[in-house]
Amino acid sequence: MTDKLLIRYSYNIAANDFIAAGKGSSSIKNTLKSMGIDASTIRRIAIISYEAEINLVIHSYGGMLHCDLYENKIDIITEDKGPGIENIDLALTEGYSTATESVRELGFGAGMGLPNMKKYSDDFDIASSREGTFIKITVLLQEV
Amino acid sequence: MNFSIMLDKEKCKGCTNCMRRCPTQAIRLIDEKAFINNSKCIHCGECIKICPYDAYTPESIEWNEEMNYSPYKCKIAIISTPTYGQFPKGTSICNVQNSIKKLGFDFVYDASWSAELVSKAINRKINEVKDIRPFISTNCPATVRLIKSRYPSLMDNLIYIKEPMVIGAMLARERAKSIFNLKDEEIGVFYISPCPAKLLAVTDPIGDYHSSVDWVIPLNTIFGDLYREIKKDDISCSYPALNGLRWGVAGGQSESANLTNYISVHGMENIIHILDEIENGNLNNVDYVEALACVEGCVGGSFNVVNPYIAKNNIEYIIKNAGDNFNIEDLDKFDEMYDSGIFKFKLKAEDNPIKFNMKEAVIKNEKIMEINALLPGLDCGSCGAPTCYAHAEDVYNNQAELYDCIVLRAKNK
Ligand SMILES: Nc1ncnc2c1ncn2[C@@H]1O[C@H](COP(=O)(O)OP(=O)(O)OP(=O)(O)O)[C@@H](O)[C@H]1O
Ligand SMILES: [Mg+2]
Repeated sequence: MTDKLLIRYSYNIAANDFIAAGKGSSSIKNTLKSMGIDASTIRRIAIISYEAEINLVIHSYGGMLHCDLYENKIDIITEDKGPGIENIDLALTEGYSTATESVRELGFGAGMGLPNMKKYSDDFDIASSREGTFIKITVLLQEV
Repeated sequence: MNFSIMLDKEKCKGCTNCMRRCPTQAIRLIDEKAFINNSKCIHCGECIKICPYDAYTPESIEWNEEMNYSPYKCKIAIISTPTYGQFPKGTSICNVQNSIKKLGFDFVYDASWSAELVSKAINRKINEVKDIRPFISTNCPATVRLIKSRYPSLMDNLIYIKEPMVIGAMLARERAKSIFNLKDEEIGVFYISPCPAKLLAVTDPIGDYHSSVDWVIPLNTIFGDLYREIKKDDISCSYPALNGLRWGVAGGQSESANLTNYISVHGMENIIHILDEIENGNLNNVDYVEALACVEGCVGGSFNVVNPYIAKNNIEYIIKNAGDNFNIEDLDKFDEMYDSGIFKFKLKAEDNPIKFNMKEAVIKNEKIMEINALLPGLDCGSCGAPTCYAHAEDVYNNQAELYDCIVLRAKNK
């Protein structure tokens, strides 16, 4: 009964659209805030969803960002259309990045996105093939 | 005694300043007049301060009449720590105390005495309990209520030490009982208050205790009488405690409690930033957060008469030039008092914040978002709510009509 999905908020994230980048995660943050969820949970979700969204913009051919609310947890999920991550362990290493020079000039590409997403999660799932990458990050709600 | 912040409808122009300023969105405009929702109001006094038309006033008591017909055999005035700061430099402490007494009190109790004891209790608790950081002061009733309504996860960080007003009233009452051999109901304790939040702390305290204060007198409603009574005659009195006196000014309680690793934050907006930082886990290495709703602390309360910076300067002057003219009361009894548990308090059942329920929050949010989607998103305030989202919430709660929105009304014509 606790693992019944209550609602899903979904955002279409286009590849290389740096103008819209960040809008999905910021909308998630505002929604959770107005619902009255505690600030530390919101902060974790904000960091995780922002990094996930930016990765879709920079590294993927585009995909979806979802925020799933359950009675006692929140999942952030990304699904994209490829090209996939060749070596997941390597991608999870702090400082590893394949970002191009032009992307780095925009301030991205420190290789800290995935490690931070993992750090702020209670559960971290990732699967990747050439057809696409699937990431699911869980944050448990705090008992007040 | 049912205190609230009163609005003079004649003076209110319906300008929306207070509505936009209110940190808990407790104010709405109904028929072009401001209206405070008491269940959301934390009595911080921001509306009183920002109103350009002085339309807000504390509900003041009919002072002299009250005294004449009062059933009390003994009347005690508690002098709050910002009080002395309202008088010009060089005004004698004893003359201030005496002019207060002349209003009709049998004796005065200086809140700096109890503040000194409360400081020691704060220090003691911080040293005893190491697994809660930071502790947050429970002195400012507006801050405590802000935490209860907007930061429920921080309720555990509150230090739960009774404030000087409460301890002072208790000690003064005991003193009157033993000196004059009186019963509780024969004694009236009157707190001379710098702010409306103290009114609320007396009538509706957060905590499992009854306040020993019977009446709260807004400082500004008696200031004129006091000032007129001040004479330059040379009388003696019981001086305030100097460390305790610091409580009137922001940072004073931490200094008085001998703390070194503390944050003193004042002003509602600043407090909100610091509470966010605590909630985000960024201040776990700080011992104590003294968060006071008013700028510069209690000297900034809306019942004060002079500017907070001037009052602060006046109080610092008194402390620096006190010489031997200070007095600490009951310090020898501190350990006994602390061990007996009189300083500490707990929440009563109804003080606990409502538990967050994701399912209810999702359903409610969906309905509010549906309404919100119909609104223009201008946050113009014309409907009488501070934001479109707040209006959507009001409509959801049946407290407003969707078509109170003038933009929607114009579109549908
Ligand atoms: N959705 C994705 N599709 C394909 N490759 C990805 C995807 N997400 C991450 N990667 C790969 O994993 C690497 C590491 O990702 P990470 O987010 O940790 O760093 P970054 O995005 O390069 O830099 P930063 O996030 O610090 O700006 C990326 O450089 C990229 O090669
Ligand atoms: Mg990244």
